[in-house]
Amino acid sequence: MTEATDRPHVIKDAKGKRPQFYSQPGIDQLMSMVMVLAGEVCMLRDRMDAQERVARMHGINLAEGIDALKLDDDALQAREAYRQDFLDRLFYLARKEASEAAAQESDEAYRATIADIAVN
Amino acid sequence: MLNCFQQAHHAMLPVPTHDEASRQEFAKSLKGFIQSGLLPGLAPVYQTRAAKAFEREHGRKPEDRRDIRTAMVPDPYFQLYASINRIAQELLWEATNLSVERELPELIAKAKELSASTNAQLVMPEGFVAPRYVTALDIHCMPGGYASEVCEDDVSVGVLYDRGVFLYSMGYGGPHNDDMGRSVCNYIKRNRPDFAPRRILDMGCTVGHSTLPYKEYFPDAEVWGIDVGGPCIRYAHARAAALGHEVNFAQMNAEETSFPDGHFDLVVSHILLHETSGKAMPRIFKEAYRLLAPGGLVIHADLPPFDLMDPFTQFILDNETWYNNEPFWGAMRDMDQIALSEAAGFPKGETRFTTAPMAIMEFMGDGYAAEATESVADREFTAGEFAPGGGWEVLIAQKPVDFAAAA
Repeated sequence: MTEATDRPHVIKDAKGKRPQFYSQPGIDQLMSMVMVLAGEVCMLRDRMDAQERVARMHGINLAEGIDALKLDDDALQAREAYRQDFLDRLFYLARKEASEAAAQESDEAYRATIADIAVN
Repeated sequence: MLNCFQQAHHAMLPVPTHDEASRQEFAKSLKGFIQSGLLPGLAPVYQTRAAKAFEREHGRKPEDRRDIRTAMVPDPYFQLYASINRIAQELLWEATNLSVERELPELIAKAKELSASTNAQLVMPEGFVAPRYVTALDIHCMPGGYASEVCEDDVSVGVLYDRGVFLYSMGYGGPHNDDMGRSVCNYIKRNRPDFAPRRILDMGCTVGHSTLPYKEYFPDAEVWGIDVGGPCIRYAHARAAALGHEVNFAQMNAEETSFPDGHFDLVVSHILLHETSGKAMPRIFKEAYRLLAPGGLVIHADLPPFDLMDPFTQFILDNETWYNNEPFWGAMRDMDQIALSEAAGFPKGETRFTTAPMAIMEFMGDGYAAEATESVADREFTAGEFAPGGGWEVLIAQKPVDFAAAA
C-alpha cells in the first residue's frame, strides 16, 4: 500500500452552480444534512442486521436473544440515562434559550457588551 | 417484489466495506423511493393547485413545458421532489467515492496490469483536449466529470462512473450496466440476422458498458470504443480485460476520429448525443456517415425527441437540464434528428426511430430475481423514471450500398 500521505484524492464536488430549491436560505443545507443522517441511520441498522446474521453463522441466535432479553435495573438505568442525555443534547438550543430567558440575556445586552469591552 | 438488483463484481471495481456498501445501497433505495413514492405526486399537485395558481397569475392556462416549470418551481411539493432528487444524485457519487478514494492506487495498479494482459489496443494520444461541452460542467453532477485526472494514469472517474451508473439506474441496466448495448445487439440480430459487421465502432463509450455486448454478439468483429475522457478509456480497456473481452479503446472525439473513410460496418452510440452540443451533434452524424462502409448501419440509442411527448412529460424530463448538470438534455430533444441524419448524407426517408426492446429479461439469475426483473420490463413509460419499460428508442439509418442511390 502507498503511504497515506502520498495517496491521491478523488474529486469530491461536481463543477456547476448548485440550484437553490427552497426560497429560504439554509433549507437546502438542512435537507441535505437530514438525508445524510437518514442514510447513516439506515447504514447503522444494516450493521446491526449484519451482526445478527454473522452471530447466527456462528450458532448464536442474537435476534432471538435480543427479543428475549429482560432488562434488569442496571440496564434500565443505563438506558434511561443515555436517553435523557441524548435528548438534552438534541434540544441544546431549547436549553440555551431557557437559560437566556432566566438570565435575561438579550441582543441589546450583547451589543452593549461589545461596545463596552471595546473601550473599557 | 422489491428491487434488490446487485451489480456483478469484476476485478476493476472496488470491494466496498460493509458501511460503504450500505451507504451506496441507501442512495439506490432513495432513487427508487423517489420514483415510486414522490414522483407520482407531481401530476396531482400540478393539476389541482400549481396549474390553477399559474392561471390566476397569468390569465391563461400553462401551455408548454416552460409554463409548467414556471407554475411548479414555487410549489412546496415540487421543491421537495426536486431537492431530494438532487440530493440522491449527490449521495450516490459521494457514497461511491468513499470506496474509490480508499482503493485508488491499488485500482490504478490493477488497471495497468489488466491492460498489459490483453492484445486489444489502448490508444491515448499525447496532448488530447476534451471538448468544452464535456468539461464546462460535471455532467450529471459526477464529481470530476469524465476527463479529470487527479494523478498519473488515473482511472478514478471511470471507477466512479461504473459503480455510480449502476446505482443511478437502480440496476435496470443489468449486472454489467450493459442493457442498452445488449438491446441494440438483440435488435440487430432479430431484424438483420445476416448482418455480419467486420468492424464496429461505439462512439462516446465512457467505460465500455454498452461496447462489450457487441464483441459478445459479434465475436469475429473488431470492436472499438472511443471517448473523450482519458480516465474512462483507460478504465474501459482494463475493465474489458477483466471481463475477458478483447475490445480496443481509444481516446478520440466522435466529431472527428482518426479512422479512415468507410472503415466500419456498424457505428453505434448509447446515451452520447444528449451530452454533446448543438454544434457537435451534426458533426457526429456526419462523422458516422463518413466512417460507414456502403451498406453499413448507424444506430444512436439516446433520448426520444420532445415532439413525441405531452408538455407535462417534457417538463418532468427537462428537470435534468436544470437540476442535474445536463446542459444539452432539453435542447437535444428539440432537435430534428431525422433532418440531421439526412443532412449528414443518409438518403431521404431512410432514417427512422424504432424500439430496441430492453434486454433485462436475460439478466435473471444471481442478484436478479425473476419477478423483480419482469416488473422492470413490463412497466409503461413514465417520465422521471429511469428507462422506459418496453425498450429504448433508437435512431437507425443505413448507408446505401449503391452510392448512386443516395443522390
